[in-house]
Amino acid sequence: MNKKTNIVGLLQRSSVPIMFVIICALCIPIAGLSPSYLINEIVTRMGRNSFLILSLLVPIMAGMGLNFGMTLGAMAGEIGLILVSDWQIVGIPGMVLAMIISVPNSVLLGFFCGKILNMAKGREMITSYIISYFMNGVYQLVVLYLMGSIIPIAHTSIKLPRGYGIRNTVSLLSMRQKLDNLIPLTIRGVKIPVMTFIIIALLCLVIIWFRRTKLGQDMRAVGQDLEVARDAGINVERTRILSVIISTVLAGIGMVIYLQNMGNIATYSSHSQIGMFCIAALLVGGASVDKASIGNVFLGVVLFHLMFIVAPRAGAYITGDSMIGEYFRVFVSYAVITVALIMYETNKRRAKSLAGAQLAAEQEAQK
Amino acid sequence: MGEKTDIKKEKGWFGRLVEDFGLPRLIITLFLILLLILAPIVGADFPSQITNIIARFSWNGILVLAMVPMVHSGCGLNFGLPLGIISGLLGATISIELGFTGALSFLMAILIATPFALIFGCGYGWLLNKIKGGEMMIATYVGFSSVSFMCMMWLVLPYKSPNMVWGLAGKGLRTTISLEGYYSQTLAKFLQIRIGNFVIPTGSLLFFALLAFLMWAFLHTKTGTAMTAVGSNPTFARAAGINIDRIRLLSVVMSTWLAAIGILVYEQGFGFVQLYMAPFYMALPAVSAILIGGASVNKASITNVIIGTILFQGIVTMTPTVMNNMIHMDMSEVIRIIASNGMILYALTRKTEGAK
Amino acid sequence: MKSKRGLLAKLLVLAAVIAIAAAMFVIGRGHTVYFDNKEVKAEDGTVYKPFYKIEVYVGDERVAKLSEGDRGAYSVMGQKLKVTLHLTVKKDAKKQGSAVTFEIPYNMDGIIYNIPALLQGAPEEVYMEEFVPTPVQEDEDADVVVTDEFAMPSEDE
Repeated sequence: MNKKTNIVGLLQRSSVPIMFVIICALCIPIAGLSPSYLINEIVTRMGRNSFLILSLLVPIMAGMGLNFGMTLGAMAGEIGLILVSDWQIVGIPGMVLAMIISVPNSVLLGFFCGKILNMAKGREMITSYIISYFMNGVYQLVVLYLMGSIIPIAHTSIKLPRGYGIRNTVSLLSMRQKLDNLIPLTIRGVKIPVMTFIIIALLCLVIIWFRRTKLGQDMRAVGQDLEVARDAGINVERTRILSVIISTVLAGIGMVIYLQNMGNIATYSSHSQIGMFCIAALLVGGASVDKASIGNVFLGVVLFHLMFIVAPRAGAYITGDSMIGEYFRVFVSYAVITVALIMYETNKRRAKSLAGAQLAAEQEAQK
Repeated sequence: MGEKTDIKKEKGWFGRLVEDFGLPRLIITLFLILLLILAPIVGADFPSQITNIIARFSWNGILVLAMVPMVHSGCGLNFGLPLGIISGLLGATISIELGFTGALSFLMAILIATPFALIFGCGYGWLLNKIKGGEMMIATYVGFSSVSFMCMMWLVLPYKSPNMVWGLAGKGLRTTISLEGYYSQTLAKFLQIRIGNFVIPTGSLLFFALLAFLMWAFLHTKTGTAMTAVGSNPTFARAAGINIDRIRLLSVVMSTWLAAIGILVYEQGFGFVQLYMAPFYMALPAVSAILIGGASVNKASITNVIIGTILFQGIVTMTPTVMNNMIHMDMSEVIRIIASNGMILYALTRKTEGAK
Repeated sequence: MKSKRGLLAKLLVLAAVIAIAAAMFVIGRGHTVYFDNKEVKAEDGTVYKPFYKIEVYVGDERVAKLSEGDRGAYSVMGQKLKVTLHLTVKKDAKKQGSAVTFEIPYNMDGIIYNIPALLQGAPEEVYMEEFVPTPVQEDEDADVVVTDEFAMPSEDE
């Protein structure tokens, strides 16, 4: 009996990854891409995205759901990179400097985000989602109007011709894939960004270590039950704010890694897409709103990006229209998030009613 | 408790105003008033500005009105508005495809959109009943999923009308479809009043007034009060024997249908049908408009709709012109994003009574 | 006592981070170095003729191969650039090797070195010049910013 429910539960929990495996299995032969190309792409994308997705884990641990506010960190990272490329600090030092610059901004933004999320307990996700839009406005204010007019920007290559504001794209040619290629390694034609993977592995270790620290334990307690944690003497508000700050800082650093791989910044759109793609990838990896592991991150990156690569090709092949595949993958990204959210909410309700029934039964028995 | 009331007394009239009205709302109102004062000074054409605001009010009013039923029934702000908008778009495109023209095409669009809105609304409402408490986030993503799903459908569905499909390929709908010859300005031209630069689209306003009145009347029927009860005090509602799920479903269907009608009215004013990603972000302006008008996550009235739409559209139309005339720097887009999303944030962080 | 030590540790970390940032400013400053093989005339009237051919090596990598009148470019990080020059002074002449270290001024983004002048012992103001990019006349609306509100969420990542 117990075993059976276990299997059913496992299947239910991993239904999204299984669905994705099926989609990919169907699309790969149709897309007709060579295996070496696919593997190369997947490895590149793993290096590019994993760090960003890992940044989502901490708030989930603290029970705050999917942190749509990671966009804030991405903005901080972009601002760091824009400044650094104006100062002409190049290569790895440029990246390090951009990360250092992003940290205070990320902390500030994360603090702001955490403060607001504390005021909106129970609807953290929609609130963090709106925060990302709100901050996008502030970001535009800074980058489109203040940079070049108040914040000095010297180079016309990144400044708009009108004299203030940053161009639509900022080239990062001087640090393009400098981190990925720091330790060059190519195995059977597959280029492996060794250094990026080392950094990602380090972050994984840090996250595992962090779970065991006092703060990590507190976060898990807060995530499990707010009131119980409060009674146990944990400063719930502070813990939650810290979890958002950590996530935002990591997202900022992750964005720098992401963009060094891309080689340019789409100044006004890079960050707005990143949140959705990272969240979708994490969910595809089998994570849920209240539970996510490092394994989910990597499985998610592989499956989600495999779909991302093959879907447009397969769509174009089947329908003869290349746009269909593009729309299809966007649709799948949103649909995955939708399904995961629905599953989370229904499970929560079921657990609640189950607990209620149990309580009623106990009371009945006491009588 | 006693301490709190003391503080309230000490705050004086300004404090009380802030408390009743909400600081962001106050700022936005003052900002609009400032814009209205500045407009003639910096040399903007005042009557045409007002005309613009009224016109945009008539385009958007019904979309904002669509928020009301779901707020009343406790489903929160309808971030899933795009779903209703898609029903409207289906109505519009099918009506054109079937060859209706002029005012008739508008009527047919409404008629065709209705069954879609009812079906989608039922499904959407059923879903929202399963996930009580997490409505807003899921609504957002239901909206997004449906928009991106329809992006594929607009390409695939067998539309043939040469006015709508891409000229070269002969299939797949265009991103924008002109309504010239169909229902562009159908309502606006009805009983239109024109004094020099100053134009009032009477028909559109009357149509909005009709729907708003119907909504008001509905909220005073037995079912309407039951809806309010479900939203404001679910325990009480259940005790009174109200079928909560059914009422919530009804509210979602109403909201979806109003969104469908709303987008059709918007199109008749704007003169174009916008497909593909266009419905994507249409929920946010409507949501923030009703919040600016004084609504909260679980309270909204027709007055909120009217005031909110005027304030929101006022800022949207006035800021670019005033800013451009004043400092030659068009920051209106940024101001709009910050103001509207800031308003939503403010509303989300308010404590709501009875929701839990 | 404990909090004091904690504060001290925090300050130390902060100082370390600032130090790293400062170090990055120094070692990470990028420059574009241009190598000229052109005729240049000093103010006192001395004319430095170009060589027949110059090959510029950084390490083992050839970064420029310059005939008479050519210009080559190389992006460099930091203020020191060691190059090995393989010179062919006249046609059919034997190749000569020469190692040169450039000290690049920190504040210059781009800098032009006239190699023949440098090797023939011209003063600094003759062989070295800041590279100033010619401003391209651009249309104000050429780069209209799309704030992406209604754009497709993804073309490609």
